[in-house]
Order: sequence, then C-alpha cells, then structure tokens
Amino acid sequence: MAFGYHGRYLRVDVTNGSAEFLPLDEAVLRAYLGGSGLGVRLLLEAGAADADPLAPEAPLVFAFSPLVGSPLTTSAKFAVVSKSPLTGRINDSLASSGFAIAGKRCGCDAIMIVGRTPALSAIVIDDGEVHLESAEEFRGSTCQETEAGLRARLGNGYRIASIGPAGERAVRYATISHDGRHAGRGGSGAVLGAKNVKAIAVRGTKYSEWAHPKELTELSRSLSKRSFGPATAKYRELGTASNLLTFNRFGALPTRNFQTGSFEEAASLSPEVLNATRSKTRDSCAACTIGCEHIYSLGKTGVRVEYENLFALGSLCGVSDADTVLRASQLCDQLGLDTISAGGTIAFAMECVERGWLNEPWLKFGDGGALLRAIGMIGSREGIGDLLAEGSRRAAQVIGHNSMAIAPQVKGLEIPGYEPRALQTMALGFAVGARGADHNRSGAYEVDFSPKVDRRNVTIDAVQHAIETEDKAALMDSMIMCKFLRGVFEDFYTESAEMLRNVTGWDVTADELRETAKRIVSAKRQFNVLAGWTPAEDTLPERFLNTPLPNDPAASLSRERLDLLVAEYHRQRGW
Amino acid sequence: MASCQVQAGTLGQLFEALAEQIPPLSTLICKDRLQSSLVANLNGDRFISDPETPLGENDCVLILSADAGG
Repeated sequence: MAFGYHGRYLRVDVTNGSAEFLPLDEAVLRAYLGGSGLGVRLLLEAGAADADPLAPEAPLVFAFSPLVGSPLTTSAKFAVVSKSPLTGRINDSLASSGFAIAGKRCGCDAIMIVGRTPALSAIVIDDGEVHLESAEEFRGSTCQETEAGLRARLGNGYRIASIGPAGERAVRYATISHDGRHAGRGGSGAVLGAKNVKAIAVRGTKYSEWAHPKELTELSRSLSKRSFGPATAKYRELGTASNLLTFNRFGALPTRNFQTGSFEEAASLSPEVLNATRSKTRDSCAACTIGCEHIYSLGKTGVRVEYENLFALGSLCGVSDADTVLRASQLCDQLGLDTISAGGTIAFAMECVERGWLNEPWLKFGDGGALLRAIGMIGSREGIGDLLAEGSRRAAQVIGHNSMAIAPQVKGLEIPGYEPRALQTMALGFAVGARGADHNRSGAYEVDFSPKVDRRNVTIDAVQHAIETEDKAALMDSMIMCKFLRGVFEDFYTESAEMLRNVTGWDVTADELRETAKRIVSAKRQFNVLAGWTPAEDTLPERFLNTPLPNDPAASLSRERLDLLVAEYHRQRGW
Repeated sequence: MASCQVQAGTLGQLFEALAEQIPPLSTLICKDRLQSSLVANLNGDRFISDPETPLGENDCVLILSADAGG
C-alpha cells in the first residue's frame, strides 16, 4: 500500500451496530485520491445513486485524504459525500478541523455509515473499535452543546462531528458541524439525522507514514512561507467578507432574492465597517497557516463572518442591520443550517409574499425580526418553516403560480452570492455543476474577474476556462487542500504532483493529475446520470434568462446563449 | 476601500507611479504589471492587464484580489 494511506475504509451499519474494515485497492486510491473523489467512487460501488438519500440504506461517507496528518498547510480537511436530500444528486461537502486528523488515525481512509438506529445515538470510534451510545440527552441540542456534552462524557482526545436540531428534523439543507466548522451544503446533516445519528466521535493512534519525509518537510515549509504572502492577504486582512463591497461595486451582489445586483445599504454589513465598530478576533482551521476566520463580537459572544453569510442573510433578504445578520448567522450555526440555502429560501419566500403568492404577511424584505423568526421556524419545522425546510425548489412546487422562475436554485441547491447575469462564466459553472449552483466546485468567477472574458457577455471561449476551474477544484477537493491556497501555486498541477510524490511515493506527474481531475468530475456526472439526471437540469432559473439585471442592463444572459455554452461544455467534456 | 489620484497615460505608467508614490505597494507591482494575486478593473467595467492600455483623464482603476471566492 502507498504511503499516506491505510488502504481500507470502515463501514458502520448503525442498524445493528456492526462495523468492518474493507480493503481499498491502491489503483482505486491513485485514480480517485481521497476526499470528494474517493467518496463518490465508494458511493458508486455501493449503488447509492438509486437510493432515497433519507432511507436507512443510503450511505454517507466521511472521506479523508493522503495529505491529512501531513505537515502541509491546510491539509486537515475531510469530505462528507452522499446523495443530497436537497437535490437528489451527488453532494460533497468539505470542512476543516481536527476531526479529519483524528478520523484518519482510526486507521482508515474513509468511514461509511449506513442503516438507522432505533434511538438517537452517537457513533464512537476509538482507534477503529466502534460502538453506539445513546444521544437522547442531546436531542434538540445545538451542535456546540452536543460536542461539548459528548466530549465531557467521553473524555479528552475525541473529535466530534454532530448535527443540530435541523438535522434531527431532516431539514434538507442541514449541516454536519464540528469545532464550529460545517460541512455545509446539500443537506448531509439531514442524511445523518435520518439515520438517527446525532454525532460521531473519533480518536486514534494509527499514523500514516510519508514516502519522503525530509522532502515533504521542506516542501511544507516552503508552502507555509508562501501562504503568508500577497496571494492570501485578502483572507488574513478582512476575510472573504471583503467581497461584499467589491461585488456591490460591480453590480454582482445578489439583493432581495436576485431582483437586483446592488444593495444600497451594503456598507453597513461590510467588514470595513464591522472592523471599525466592534471587536474582532482571528482564528484558523487546524493545520492552517492562512488564518481566514474573522470572528466579530455580538454581545458577549463571537460570530464567524464569511461573505456568504453576509450576502445570504443580509443583502439577499434586504436586511442591513449588522447585529441582526450576525445573530441570524449564529442561529444557523446553532441549528445546523446551511446559511446560503437558508437565506436563499427565505428570500424566495419574501418575494413570494411580496407578489401575493404566499400568505405570510410578516415575512418581508428588510425585516430582521422576520428573518430570525423564519430561521427558527425552519429549524423546528413549525408553520411555514416546514415548507421552507424543504428548500426553494420544493417550496416553489407547492406555492405554484410562476414561483419556480424566481426560486434561486440550480438542481435544487440555492445559488451562492454571485449574480449570474453579471458573472456569466460563473453562470455556466452554476448551470453545469454536479451538486447544483455552487462556488466551491466551480471557481469560474475567477475568470469573470479577469481580462480573459467580458463577464457580462461571455462567449464560447469561456467554456474552456470554466472547465479548467472545475477540474482544479475537483483535484483540490480530493487531495484535499484549501482553495484559499490556490493563488499561492505558480504551477498548481506540478506542485500538487510533487506533494503527492513525497507523501505517497507514487511517480505521479502533473499530466496524470489533470486526468485524475477529469476522472473525478466524470464520476460525479456518472452518479448523477444513475440518479436520473437529464440535460434539462443544466440550466438556470427563468429569472436570469429573460430579465436583464435591473441595476446593469448590459448584464443580460439569454436562454439561447446559456444553452450554447452548456452544449459546448458537454461537448468539451465528451459527454 | 482606499483611493488615490495619480497622473498616468497608460496602465503600466499608473503602476509605476503607484509603486513610487506608495512604497508598500511596490511589493505588489512587478515593473509595470500587478502581481498575479491582483487584478485591475477599468471603471467597474472591464478587467485589464496590458500595460499599454490607455487611460483617460477621469478613468478609475480598481485594484482587487484575483481570488474573489469565499
């Protein structure tokens, strides 16, 4: 077996509490690496594409990677891979924390969970030994309360991933949380909740060895040093929230359910103003030298602020009060809700109310109290919250009228904070994304923010660029490394090959990794095809295809042009 | 977002002038070009990189991180 791997995964059936290690062939590991790639491969082997994602037999995979536990900066990451209950398609959510390191030290490269326990339970994996414990005392507890309570019960050394009340109630965009971080998108928390699993606790002593430790240490030092440079300055100084005013300036800040791309009160939510008006601390994920986390004070507590929180719970809902947006973000963290889908679904409902399609007159754009109330109702599935817990696509099917045209989603996944008409390479990335509208699986917005394309009128030339960013993301999500490092690399594939050579001992090359990336993208597509994908899914909601952006009429994307881009994308992919 | 006014006829001249007038910026500018971690935008419209790009009297050049994501 190659260095950096254990060569096996742990399969836990929580119906009867059984667990077994199953071998992983080295050829499979070399072909899919780890993280997203390994996760989707295991799901394909398990025949997961056909299953109801909330059924007991549907597998949920925590996939680690060869780099986890190495001294390479940002490598303490894992992927949670399953069929999404929100989209019915592949879902891979990534997160960073000591859970990745502790999970891999249990002596496996992935943990697959199937089945359903009769009572709410915690899976405890101690150096590869598995047992279930009651988690009834944590029913209704927040993710943070569950982690703290379970750690107090089990003792030190355990790393714990858990779901909040939203996951217990099968909210279709519930997260899995650990150490304040979330595997956020696509509803993996609902999949775990459907198994009656509240938490997973891991600890272990089984270390992987590296093929070339001396060279790896030198490479790690170099990468860490470069991670302090200008390519990551943005993340250190203001964090991802610094996008807010930039996007607003470019008319690309989604506002009031994508009715416009400019929010007149954006400044009040900007990190520049937050910095000036409240205290802030910085933090970083485990084994990371970048330190992108900016935690702003809210009363006596602190709230981690990212651009996507500010956009989804701020401008998208028309809310400009910073305290309210921070509180909404904190509430999502506590309940275990994806902030993008929560904000997107609530903003959609607000517009439906505005149009007279939904009789919830209290749910108005700009009303912070209504935003907080709606989040709470989603977490508890009370009243209108029960419908909104299903996500905007399913809600539109119930609300009727022409609401599907304004439901801000692709394949059911709510669109992140990039206005598609103003950023049209990103629009293509959203349309063709395997897990739906997603900025982490397609970095095509980078192309829009470059001289390579005219972002408001992209041509067929944009397709190649979109494919390149998607391939790169697939490789980073499988090795796994943080995407905030991407600007640090001078030659991403060559340097990635060097990392893998030093960790695994394989004679891997840049060209091999380019093929690996394409293989992983294709595997996700294969999963979706088996799950029922049709070409009609690779599109955007009607709103974006028949209405120019009101604040920037030059930003217009016709259905015909998007269809051409998508067809060319499929052609170049060979699909 | 900080701003300043600079006299320059082209993008390259602008960067050279910025590096001279604001020394901390010189580490982000390689002669007449931005480092790869940054991009320049003209008047909130198109992104530009060619040092020979002409600039008019009231043109506004935005300099921002090349990594927009988050």
